[in-house]
Amino acid sequence: MTTLLAFDTATPATAVALLGEGAERELRHDPAPGERPGHAAQLLPLAHRLLAEAGLTFADLDRIAVGTGPGTFTGLRIGVATARALAQAASAELTGVSTLQALAAAAAAQAPDGRVLAVLDARRGEAFTALYEHGAELSPPAAVTPGILATMARADALAVGDGAVRFRDVLAPSGIGVPADGDPLHRVSALALARLAASAPASVDAAVTPDYVRVPDAELTRRRKEEAAAS
Amino acid sequence: MSAAAAPTILAIETSCDDTCAAVVTGDQIRSNVISSQGIHDRYGGVVPEVASRHHLELANVVVDDALARAGATLDDVDLVAVTQGPGLVGALLVGVATAKAIAAARGLPLASVDHLQGHVAANFLTTGDGPEDKPLEPPFLCLIASGGHTFLANVTEHDGFTVLGRTLDDAAGEAFDKGARMLGLPYPGGPHLEKLARDGDPSAFTFPTGRGVSGLDFSFAGLKTALLYKIRDLGGGSDPSALDDATRANLAAAYQHAIVESLARRCEQALAQSGTDRLAVGGGVAANGPLRDRLATLGVTLKVPPRALCTDNAAMIASAARFVPPHPFPEYLAMDAYATGERGL
Ligand SMILES: [Zn+2]
Repeated sequence: MTTLLAFDTATPATAVALLGEGAERELRHDPAPGERPGHAAQLLPLAHRLLAEAGLTFADLDRIAVGTGPGTFTGLRIGVATARALAQAASAELTGVSTLQALAAAAAAQAPDGRVLAVLDARRGEAFTALYEHGAELSPPAAVTPGILATMARADALAVGDGAVRFRDVLAPSGIGVPADGDPLHRVSALALARLAASAPASVDAAVTPDYVRVPDAELTRRRKEEAAAS
Repeated sequence: MSAAAAPTILAIETSCDDTCAAVVTGDQIRSNVISSQGIHDRYGGVVPEVASRHHLELANVVVDDALARAGATLDDVDLVAVTQGPGLVGALLVGVATAKAIAAARGLPLASVDHLQGHVAANFLTTGDGPEDKPLEPPFLCLIASGGHTFLANVTEHDGFTVLGRTLDDAAGEAFDKGARMLGLPYPGGPHLEKLARDGDPSAFTFPTGRGVSGLDFSFAGLKTALLYKIRDLGGGSDPSALDDATRANLAAAYQHAIVESLARRCEQALAQSGTDRLAVGGGVAANGPLRDRLATLGVTLKVPPRALCTDNAAMIASAARFVPPHPFPEYLAMDAYATGERGL
């Protein structure tokens, strides 16, 4: 069996899991309310702890898996940069997994017909969301307004993620199930991500990139100016 | 320290908009790869989010390229070095995450380097076979002027410096860029402004040179405003193309002259005060011809490293890393980036 290290830094949490050789364990850092995300300071120390407990080093890793978002831009970059460099320097395989898909995979067993609407808080009053059925993507990840989110919600599905909690009122009229606020299903599980990655084909290093979904603000402004000038 | 016994350092620098990696052994540069993003021209300045995205795209490629050009593999690397700050935090974090992960995967020590110390340490590298290409040993004075920083340092040791003066507002390179924009020149403005100024008369107009600023500090905000008013007075309004070519060239020459004078006079004062007769210059503005010519008239030993070592680069980070205590594995795993350093620069 291969030794796989998986992590996700798309949300304010830092979640890390080790899979293989009898090891199946996750460590995480969830910032307290008002605390800033600790991705840079938490990611590698958590990974090192997991490896040390299993009697392994970074050099022993066969595969690295990373959550590619969507999520916080800086968090995504810390995760993807770390994953790429670990893979590069440890000669390990690299796999990118959608953070929304990892959320959905962990909840599928408890969802009607395995249908999960994964919803992350995208700030600015929006949500990152995608719909899955038994792991298959029915709608691709997108940044949506609460109005659009409401139209995507359906009674025969389960909504999970910090965005499902944040937009509970928006989702509720559809009749979609939303677990209680503190339910672990709302947190991105690095173990769920690891299991998805274990069965996925390895990617070419450069193909593992963050799924930003949004373009930078400066680019939006520039395009608007260009359009205004053209019209 | 002989080159054979010296550690081989892989350094990464991503503090602004250049993605850089280098391999350095002792004071010998084995490779110095700089990937300038170029993309920022269309925004008229560096956009942090855009820069950070590009750093991520380029980081591994640049590291691979630096190793390949050095004829080395990670097996040959004894120490990984990275710029920890100051700079754009989101940009820095790409380099820091990459460097930490490479070092961790190899169980290597990691040196965290201050970007400004890196600029100073560019002078500690051998850059050729000539006598002027040898490392400059402290003590010396060092002027660093770029789009991001402008300060004058007293360098008495390899591992630190004291700030004698700093800009109170814009950086010198920023003054070049803003002046260039007012004259209708594209970004980055420094080289374009220098080119336009070649056809102009620096004495055609008089611009402030920061004389009123106390001590050895710099100020360029007044200069920028003066240019704006001058263009208006000449009937250019907000459209510099309304001015004829000769007037624009004269404005560029006079504006450049004011920047050069304010930098050179502070260097002159600092040299006189310190009794040092050696001056080093770094940062992108060090590439400016008139500045180099003017500093050459100061009658001191002048060291200007090659352009690739003056602008942001990773060889200078590796150079600085030789003189800082490295963090052994795994002590650096929690390392974060910082936007502003202890010196407040
Ligand atoms: Zn710099």
